[in-house]
Amino acid sequence: MSAPPETGLVACPSCDLLFDVSGMRNGEKASCSRCGDFLTRVRTDCFFKLQSYAVAGLVFLMIACAFPFLSFESSGLESIMTLPQTAQQLYDQGRPDLALLVAGFIIFIPAVVLILLLLLSTCIIQQKFYAWMVPVTRLVFHMQNWAMVEVFFIGVLVSLVKIGHMATVVIGISFWGYGAFALCFIASVGNLDRLQYWNELERLAGLKNAG
Amino acid sequence: MQGKTAASRNLASCHLCLKLADASLHHCPRCGEPLHLRKSNSLQRTLALLVTACVLYIPANVLPIMITDQFGNSTDSTILGGVVLLIDMGSAPIAAIIFIASVMVPLGKLIALFYVCWSVSAGRTTDPRQRTVLYRAAELIGKWSMVDVFVVSILVALVHLTGLLVILPGAAAVAFAGVVIVTIVAAESFDPRMIWDQQDVTNE
Repeated sequence: MSAPPETGLVACPSCDLLFDVSGMRNGEKASCSRCGDFLTRVRTDCFFKLQSYAVAGLVFLMIACAFPFLSFESSGLESIMTLPQTAQQLYDQGRPDLALLVAGFIIFIPAVVLILLLLLSTCIIQQKFYAWMVPVTRLVFHMQNWAMVEVFFIGVLVSLVKIGHMATVVIGISFWGYGAFALCFIASVGNLDRLQYWNELERLAGLKNAG
Repeated sequence: MQGKTAASRNLASCHLCLKLADASLHHCPRCGEPLHLRKSNSLQRTLALLVTACVLYIPANVLPIMITDQFGNSTDSTILGGVVLLIDMGSAPIAAIIFIASVMVPLGKLIALFYVCWSVSAGRTTDPRQRTVLYRAAELIGKWSMVDVFVVSILVALVHLTGLLVILPGAAAVAFAGVVIVTIVAAESFDPRMIWDQQDVTNE
């Protein structure tokens, strides 16, 4: 058996070099000295930010789903697109596989990630630990790579230019709602620091086991 | 000061929660993820997925990605055809975005990942930092290729004036989404620490 690993040590995920990050103060950021990869950033208010951006993001997502996203008018005819319809229309046109992917990447995965982050950050802020928080956090870390809100928003801008000259395209409330949702999503996930998050969860689990 | 790697002390770093644990354990004691000193069969898995992506890339470019039905006449357009059309229409910046996102990014990503895989299996020791940065860039830009698939789904949802102008999704959209997903998984299964292992062996 090797000696138990000291706490405060972290290995660079890109090159495996060991670093002692135990003496870091609020606002400090650590990067690997050998390959430059990001290691961790200490922010004492990260759980509050995680929570507030998650709430704001979920509200904006509801707005984005409820109103017209874009409307298209040509020769007196008009068609309106809503956010759920981007997937719905693909399904109706015989592409259920693509419909499922698009709905997952732009609505379901980001929404589930934000709901779970809201739940987890609320528990952490209240200094509560439950056994389900460990598998749920793992799920969040696995899912967050597959959220493509910002990519979709660029896709909307490209589409606007692509068909803007063919007919009149009117931007709806949902367009702004989704843009705000994308910003909140990025801000919320940006406050999710792997090391800090798991260290805090481990500390809370230890407190619960001790007391 | 010469630092030490976790592997040299027989410690495995959890890829999900960054916990350091004894390498003989099978699961991370903190988060329960499978624990490895290095991702298992990393090169083989990455190469297999890259080859899959290359195969999918053929229908993605040959088949139509979007079918425009105007007054009953339908026109197919492929990814490259769409770019050429955009240039003809005079919207060069948008053509550039689509060209970068759907042609250069997936191709560049495939080449970059093939190159880092080759460099590891050939045991190269030069420029490990540049190769790590190259790998991380490939990992980061992966999902941006989905832009084209999203553009198709938005146009399909938005433009459906029956009898006048209808846009339908083509089979290439599915193949292209497949390329993007498979390359994301390929990048995830590659272990960049292998780039440095050769270096560490030489230094000792």
